[in-house]
Amino acid sequence: MELRYLFKKAAFVNHSTSKENGEDINKPSAPEGMLCKCAKCSAAVFTEEVSKNYYVCPECEAYFRMDARTRIKSITEEDSFVEWDTDLSIKNPLGTPGYEAKLQGLMEKTGLDEAVITGIGKIGKNETVLCVCDCRFMMASMGSNVGEKITRAVERATERKLPVIIFACSGGARMQEGIVSLMQMAKTSAALKRHSDAGQLYISVLTDPTTGGVTASFAMLGDIILAEPGALIGFAGPRVIEQTIGQKLPEGFQRSEFLLEHGFVDAIVSRKEMKSTLDLLLTFHSADKSTLGSKVVADIAKNASKANANTVSSNSKAKKRKNSKLSAWDKVCISRQKNRPVADDYISAMFDDFCEMHGDRYFKDDKAIIGGIAHIGGQAVTVIAEAKGKNTTDNIKRNFGMPSPDGYRKALRLMKQAEKFNRPIILFVDTPGAFCGLEAEERGQGEAIATNLYEMSTLKVPILSIVIGEGGSGGALALAVADQVWMLENAIYAILSPEGYASILWKDAKRANEAASEMKLTANDLLSLGIIDRIIDEPETMNEESLEGVATNLKEQILSFLSNSNSLLGEDIANKRYERFRRM
Amino acid sequence: MIKKILIANRGEIAVRIIRACREMGIQTVAVCSQADKTALHAQLADETICIGPAPSSESYLNVSRIISATLCSGADAIHPGFGFLSEDSRFAKICEKCNITFIGPTAEMMAQAGNKAEAKRTMQEAEVPTIPGSAEAVTSVVKGKKLALKAGYPVMIKASLGGGGKGMRVARNEENFEQAFVTAQKEAKNAFGDASMYIEHYIEHPKHIEVQILADKLGHVVHLGERDCSIQRNHQKLIEETPCESLSPELRKAICKAAVKAAKAVNYENAGTVEFLLEPNGNFYFMEMNTRIQVEHPITEWVTGIDLIKEQIKIASGQPLSFGQNDVVIRGHSIECRINAEDPDKKFRPCPGTIADMYLPGGPGVRVDSAIYSGLVIPPYYDSMLAKLIVHASTREEAVRKMQMALGEVIITGIKTNVDYQYELVNHPDFINGKTDIDFIEKLKKSES
Repeated sequence: MELRYLFKKAAFVNHSTSKENGEDINKPSAPEGMLCKCAKCSAAVFTEEVSKNYYVCPECEAYFRMDARTRIKSITEEDSFVEWDTDLSIKNPLGTPGYEAKLQGLMEKTGLDEAVITGIGKIGKNETVLCVCDCRFMMASMGSNVGEKITRAVERATERKLPVIIFACSGGARMQEGIVSLMQMAKTSAALKRHSDAGQLYISVLTDPTTGGVTASFAMLGDIILAEPGALIGFAGPRVIEQTIGQKLPEGFQRSEFLLEHGFVDAIVSRKEMKSTLDLLLTFHSADKSTLGSKVVADIAKNASKANANTVSSNSKAKKRKNSKLSAWDKVCISRQKNRPVADDYISAMFDDFCEMHGDRYFKDDKAIIGGIAHIGGQAVTVIAEAKGKNTTDNIKRNFGMPSPDGYRKALRLMKQAEKFNRPIILFVDTPGAFCGLEAEERGQGEAIATNLYEMSTLKVPILSIVIGEGGSGGALALAVADQVWMLENAIYAILSPEGYASILWKDAKRANEAASEMKLTANDLLSLGIIDRIIDEPETMNEESLEGVATNLKEQILSFLSNSNSLLGEDIANKRYERFRRM
Repeated sequence: MIKKILIANRGEIAVRIIRACREMGIQTVAVCSQADKTALHAQLADETICIGPAPSSESYLNVSRIISATLCSGADAIHPGFGFLSEDSRFAKICEKCNITFIGPTAEMMAQAGNKAEAKRTMQEAEVPTIPGSAEAVTSVVKGKKLALKAGYPVMIKASLGGGGKGMRVARNEENFEQAFVTAQKEAKNAFGDASMYIEHYIEHPKHIEVQILADKLGHVVHLGERDCSIQRNHQKLIEETPCESLSPELRKAICKAAVKAAKAVNYENAGTVEFLLEPNGNFYFMEMNTRIQVEHPITEWVTGIDLIKEQIKIASGQPLSFGQNDVVIRGHSIECRINAEDPDKKFRPCPGTIADMYLPGGPGVRVDSAIYSGLVIPPYYDSMLAKLIVHASTREEAVRKMQMALGEVIITGIKTNVDYQYELVNHPDFINGKTDIDFIEKLKKSES
């Protein structure tokens, strides 16, 4: 039996000094507003602690909704924000009874003039146009004034060649304004299209909740789309869907994480990191930075090429000696070795500020391909890589480096984005081949690869592709229609695997060893065939430790490639690429 | 008067507070984590509220949950015990805002005494002796030498950005100052890229002496004598005793007077402790002020006959102290040994587990403050202290023998404890002869290895 039932507890005395009068005043209680309740975990938490913690529940990390002014304060430099268009007159296009009074009431209560604040401010050193929705005002539904304010802000940004960031949250269209509200979707989208055609950046940040007409217009049109963790994002609300189809929706349906997995969101960014992320993204796209960057690249490359001239020549002697020892099959095995560095390793060894972007915007984020923006020698570049894992868990996640159609579509999306912002593209190839499976066929594996070859041929920015491990067939080529293709010394690049080759020609996959030597898949073979342009030396054993030396050398060569390409015109780059493949 | 107290703590101190409340006719509310549902404090209190999962951050350190539990239970005061939230001025402030009596000093006093740099300044202003040394950093040998002379040899020269013993040297006299300074500075420059140095009087083989203070809301401050807590392992106290035999009556008077001055300087209220370092030559220096009840409070209770927990509650209720300094008389000698669930053979690693069986000593002059019983599961999440064994006798000699005897009777099976280690310590000639200082355990370790 537990002790509590055995203990005889003493009775307590009734201290009745000042009983009735004043007792209620002195009774302990929490002062109004000191505690608030988390909508998700129901915990009572200190309001002050919540606000200090970026309005995130200290108990369960759920996101509290943030009003627009607090949001602007949290991401812009102090006193840098100037608000626009606060004086639009109230409109009631359908003459809905009581609507004006309702708006008037909300204006007084919230101190806002509408459900969105627009204006211009600074994030870090970057000037940007900002639109921030506030869901306290009619669930930030898109009335005509909301549409008007956003459209004006975007138009001004286009005119001044400034980026636009919109923090979306909305219940959707505003019922009281009916069809006029619906037209705001078209109006805002059209303004953003002009902004994009003018080569300007738009970053959309989705916060809880972003639904209905807003999702079907400006919220989903960002060059880059970010989301806050756990935000509800969807076109039709979950309750509507459940009632329509009569089915229970799965846990996490329409949350940010669900959208990320389905390829509609580039990244989920916590509030704590929102400002620094936006600052970095804006910096990637700022005009000064890219010209400055290319200057730095040129300087570094100049110094590097001097140093390189020596190492390349001395290396080539060493290469001959080393290569003679290894057969083609040896190289096939080396290229597949478990501890061989993978794309991730190269990216972290050579690039700064890598900011990964996810998703194809159609169906999925394929983890067999990683892509994003990074700095190299101070210049912003788009980096895309076929990614193998380093252990079984990782490899299952990355599908053993075999991309699905969604992966190739993601890659193409990022390459088109690079073209729009005049960013060079660096590609890393390391795949046994494109994924061969039912789902891949259902979603058009052939079409996806073909489209990449087709579109990459005319991209007006420099493209460099580096085969770091296995270059398996069309799956590799879809990331190798480049101005130059380089290979690591022991990487391979072939029409298919030696096993496949042997089984097709000789009906015996066991003769892969023999096949390898006939296929001309080594870097040396491919250099003499004119398929590739350069071989990157490898140390005797290639692993994470020895990568550093390889990466330093490779980085110098990449910088010199960039420095040479930076002076070329886009048209010329595309024509040269055409000629490169035309010769083959 | 306070009617109901929530005890925001666990273990023996929570039990100690519950017992004091019972004697005063005050209702008690215990809080416990999910790992502590069978803990003694949770079983002994009038009411118990489980406030969350095992990790302290989600239970005993979670301010909003403890405040919610207080408001729900209708308690009008919180006793924080020691550790956990006891010295968190933010917590005290929130209690204040919610009209809950925090049994301890106010948030302001706590913040003031808790900030070491500020406390040192306050003490200097109040003429409480602090360790002499440079207020600002120096880079030149000449300037350094001047400061060293002021601070008094031996001096410690340390890098202002220092850490891990790098850029630290002791200079014993003026002759070897220059060499020590230059070496330390070189090291500092290499390690931290900064050559600015602090110079401070270096205290060799000090004793840790602390003075117990009680202060009421009306500004009355009394001291309850000193405690010698020199026997420490990695800054963890192991054995404490009072009075400290190596203090002459004059020195005792001076230290206790300084402690009262220190408490008055921060307008202190409730129970507190002022810690000093005592040099073998009799100089003493203020270290810090603890704004809470201490683990070792029972030895003071025994020699003074004053129940410190009850006094804390009375002071928090606004009552004036019922005695003056002259009423405080020290009688006999008292020693405390801390019994921890840790394995001395494995670098004192905590050893949670289930207590299979136990026997604790008793008899005249023996007190055990503990929260353990046969079958209790000691969770791995919290402090490893299981019990405090306290003895009292008319002389130190008798008290030491009593402690040797009592420790010899302690039996705890099922988990590893430091009982045997403590038994060896209290039988060590240096302890028996009262010749211990802060380096005692270090020296023991060295002589063993």
